[in-house]
Amino acid sequence: MSRGVKAIMAALVLILAGSAAFLLLRPKSEGHVARISLDGQVVEEIDLSRVETPYTLTIDGPGGFSNTITVEKGRICVSKAGCPDQICVHQGYISDGTTPIVCLPNKLIIEIIGGGSGLDAATG
Amino acid sequence: MVQLALLTAIALTIFMAEAQLPPLVPIQGVKLGLANIVTVYAVFVLGPGDALLILCARVFLGAVFSGQMMTLLYSAGGGLLAWAVMAGLSRILTVKQLWLASPLAAVFHNLGQLLVAAGVMKSWAVMAFLPWLLISGVVTGLFTGLCAQFLIARLERISRGKDPGTKED
Repeated sequence: MSRGVKAIMAALVLILAGSAAFLLLRPKSEGHVARISLDGQVVEEIDLSRVETPYTLTIDGPGGFSNTITVEKGRICVSKAGCPDQICVHQGYISDGTTPIVCLPNKLIIEIIGGGSGLDAATG
Repeated sequence: MVQLALLTAIALTIFMAEAQLPPLVPIQGVKLGLANIVTVYAVFVLGPGDALLILCARVFLGAVFSGQMMTLLYSAGGGLLAWAVMAGLSRILTVKQLWLASPLAAVFHNLGQLLVAAGVMKSWAVMAFLPWLLISGVVTGLFTGLCAQFLIARLERISRGKDPGTKED
C-alpha cells in the first residue's frame, strides 16, 4: 500500500472516530428556551419550562408555505409542514440543544438555547 | 461526446429515481447519493475535466427536473467541492483504489452542502448536523465507491469480450 492510501484510510478512520466521539461525549445542554428563527431573524422565543397547556402556532416562511409548530412543556416539534420532504416533521420533538430542527426550504430553525444561566452559554 | 451525454443521462436518471425515495433518516442531507457512482467513474476513467462537465449538467438538469431550484445550490456546493477532492485524489490513487476516494469526496460533499445551508439560512445552527453528515458521508461514500469499483471491473470484462453474466473458470 502506498503512503497516499494509508493517509486516506487514516483520515477516514479519524473522521469517523471524531464524529462518533463528539456525538457520544458532548454534554447535554440544560437549555429550555426554544428560539424560532426565520431567514436568520429571531421571530419567537418560548420558555418551554413555563408552558402549561400544549398549543400550536403557525409560521409562514419565505419558502411560500407554513410550518405548524407544537409547543409542549419541555419540548417542541414541527407537527405539520407544507414542504415536500417533511424532514422537520419526521424529526419529531426536541427537548435539548444537541440537534436543532431545520426546515431548509422554509428557512426555519428551531433551536433550544440556554435559559436561566444566560443566553451566552449556548451561542458558542 | 456521446459517452459524456450517456453518462449524464444515466446520472440524471439515478438522481431522479433516488429523489423519489422517502428520506431514510430524519436528518437533512443524508442520502445515498447514488448518482455519484457516475461521477466517481468519470473522474477516474475519463478524467477530471470530463467528469466536471457531467457533474454540472447533472446538477443543473436535476434541479430543473425536480422543480426545486434550491437543490441547485446545495448540489453545486457539495458536488464541486467533492469533485475538487476527487480530482486531487485521482493523481495519487490508481483506478483499482478509487473506492477509497469516494468516501473522502462524500465527506467533502456533505461539508460543502452544509456550508451552503449555513449561508442560505444565515445561521451556523445547521452545523449541529456536521458529525452526522460526516459519518453518513463515509458510509454512503464507501458504498457508492464500491459500486463504481465493481462497475469498472465489469465494464473491463465486457470490453475484453467476455460475457459478464457467466462465471469464468
